Amino acid sequence: MTDAVADLPADTGASRKAGQFLYGASVVLLCAWVIVPLYFLLLNTLSSPEEVNSFPKSFLPHFDLGSLTFFANFQGILRALWNSVLVAAMTMVMSIVIGAPAGYALSRFEFRGKEAFRLLILLTRAFPLPLLALPLAVLFIRTGLDDTAFGLALVHTTLAIPFAVLITFSLFSGIPIELEEAAWTLGCTRFTAFTKVVLPLILPGITASAIFAFVISWNEVFAAAVLTIENRTLPAFLLQTLGEAPLHLKFAGGFILVVPALIFIFAVRKYLFAMWGIANR
Amino acid sequence: MTRMTHFAGAVSGLALLVSTAAVQADVLFWSTQARPVEEAQAMRQDVLSGFDETVDYQPNEDGPWLTRLQAELQAGSGSIEVLGALHGNFSAIDPESLVDLDDLGVSASSETFNTLARLGTDNMQYIPWMQATYIMAANKEALPYLPDGADINALTYDQLIEWAANVHEGTGSPKFGFPAGPKGLKHRFFQGYLYPSYTDGVVRTFASPEAVTAWEKFGELWEHTNPSSTNFSFMQEQLLSGDAWIVFDHTSRLAQAFNERPDDFVAFPAPAGPTGRGFMPVLAGLAVPATAPDMDAAKALVSYMLAPETQLKTLQATSFFPVVDVELPDDLPASVQASGAAIAAMSGAPDANPGLLPSGLGDKGGDFNRVYVDTFERIILARQPIERVLEDQKRRLSAIMEETGAPCWAPDAPSEGACPVE
Repeated sequence: MTDAVADLPADTGASRKAGQFLYGASVVLLCAWVIVPLYFLLLNTLSSPEEVNSFPKSFLPHFDLGSLTFFANFQGILRALWNSVLVAAMTMVMSIVIGAPAGYALSRFEFRGKEAFRLLILLTRAFPLPLLALPLAVLFIRTGLDDTAFGLALVHTTLAIPFAVLITFSLFSGIPIELEEAAWTLGCTRFTAFTKVVLPLILPGITASAIFAFVISWNEVFAAAVLTIENRTLPAFLLQTLGEAPLHLKFAGGFILVVPALIFIFAVRKYLFAMWGIANR
Repeated sequence: MTRMTHFAGAVSGLALLVSTAAVQADVLFWSTQARPVEEAQAMRQDVLSGFDETVDYQPNEDGPWLTRLQAELQAGSGSIEVLGALHGNFSAIDPESLVDLDDLGVSASSETFNTLARLGTDNMQYIPWMQATYIMAANKEALPYLPDGADINALTYDQLIEWAANVHEGTGSPKFGFPAGPKGLKHRFFQGYLYPSYTDGVVRTFASPEAVTAWEKFGELWEHTNPSSTNFSFMQEQLLSGDAWIVFDHTSRLAQAFNERPDDFVAFPAPAGPTGRGFMPVLAGLAVPATAPDMDAAKALVSYMLAPETQLKTLQATSFFPVVDVELPDDLPASVQASGAAIAAMSGAPDANPGLLPSGLGDKGGDFNRVYVDTFERIILARQPIERVLEDQKRRLSAIMEETGAPCWAPDAPSEGACPVE
């Protein structure tokens, strides 16, 4: 018994050490999970075709810009990039403008069919796009929405809205209604209470759902390939032709697809971190 | 509040941009071919730049390609001027929705191709555009392992198996590569090479005793096949990386290997079995949908694509061969020279047994391919008894043939009515 008691401090020291090791290892693993594929993408993008096919790889690339130059001269790529940004931006704005009020209503008001509504909103994701694309394209051609960035953004917004609604719903639910009520008693209207008190609190959540919307739009290929012709988005323009391209061009093309998304997420990261309480604005 | 005004500004700015991006009347070339980036680029820069009007060349995967076309046909107005696709893509479309192209006065030099292009009607529904086929290629390091007395340009399946076994034994790893990946064209090997070479048929002989032998032989070859083959779709990649030394694939899916390292690889004909050296062409065609906005420009583009000079440029851009008579120059890319020689040896072989593309299946072409892929997966990957699998799959194949009423095509003997599975 006494022995066991004497051992205790040493034990906790050892287990704390083990815990720290586990913590550190998890951090390293998670970082590697994200960074290693990106690193190989970059490495192979900056390598000559021979190096891409050879193994083992050198740790530092040789800065062979052949693959990237190919894409720089690729007809229409800048326009496609611009269209992608445009569609993604519109998707972001529309899914927030429509999704956030829906999330607010779900968390603050009681109405009939609320539970059913919460479930139904997920159903927009239940139908595969290849199934919807044909009737959508027919409708778009007839209404003149065909081949416009706005038309495509509408489709992407539909895909992004469930996320926007559910994310903002849980955020609004996390903010006590008393805060709003206090603001009302201090002279705010329902609207100003929302903009002055609630909105700043949920801004990180809005950012998160905006990122979701951005990524959904950025990655979507099928609808983009069917609904746009001259105003193609980058994935519709590149992804289909990359599937069968030589390996070094696959890497370079993948790199080009990834970089704008990375830049965007990097730019909005401080709002995301704020949500988890890491940084204060 | 400032945030809100920013928002509003952004939205109105976007709206402005949307309204300005439009109005551009290029000839839209909607294609399932020449998809790889380099080929698409070459199509735009070298092949289509010579046409009088600006051509917007858009390569697509089969799904979006067909969906968009159907949408335009249903909506009754479209932007697609010219369609470029494989025979199989066109046979899945209602011939009524394609403009008859007889009055253009251009056609392939092969009457077989022109017949295929009528899609079972009396008129040309599409114009044959370019052709390719499947061949074998090997790393030169594999050549010393060739069995004694084997001629690489006249191999038999038994010699191929022995060769693959020798390489396996010599290097310690299986080096035969087969495009059995999700995007690989494995079904064409069974339909156009294995079955014709062993059974002199594709549909009639599907479950014959000879077919059992064919699958047994393929099973033997599989013993010496790189097990990662179920991930391989473009054998040029495995040739270049050294994961496979002896491979079978579509000529354009081998092209990169020859173009990058022409001295390291050889191309050679597909092997022969008891009933000859089976092989199958790939045929791509050009069509004009009924909804094309500028019919004259569309037809002019089709004629332009069939001109001998354009056909040569297309060959250089895509490694697909001309369908009209053209004098081939000497300065062709390495891949074209290598595969051209192999194709010539294959079609000129005394035991050549050329097959045709499946025809008359309409939109059941995919189901037809599925039968062969499933048979492969059950027999070779899941190691189920050959006879039982063939009996099972035979029923599905029969059902497809009866439903579509497709008559037999070579090398099967002609049939009256639907091709029977015997």
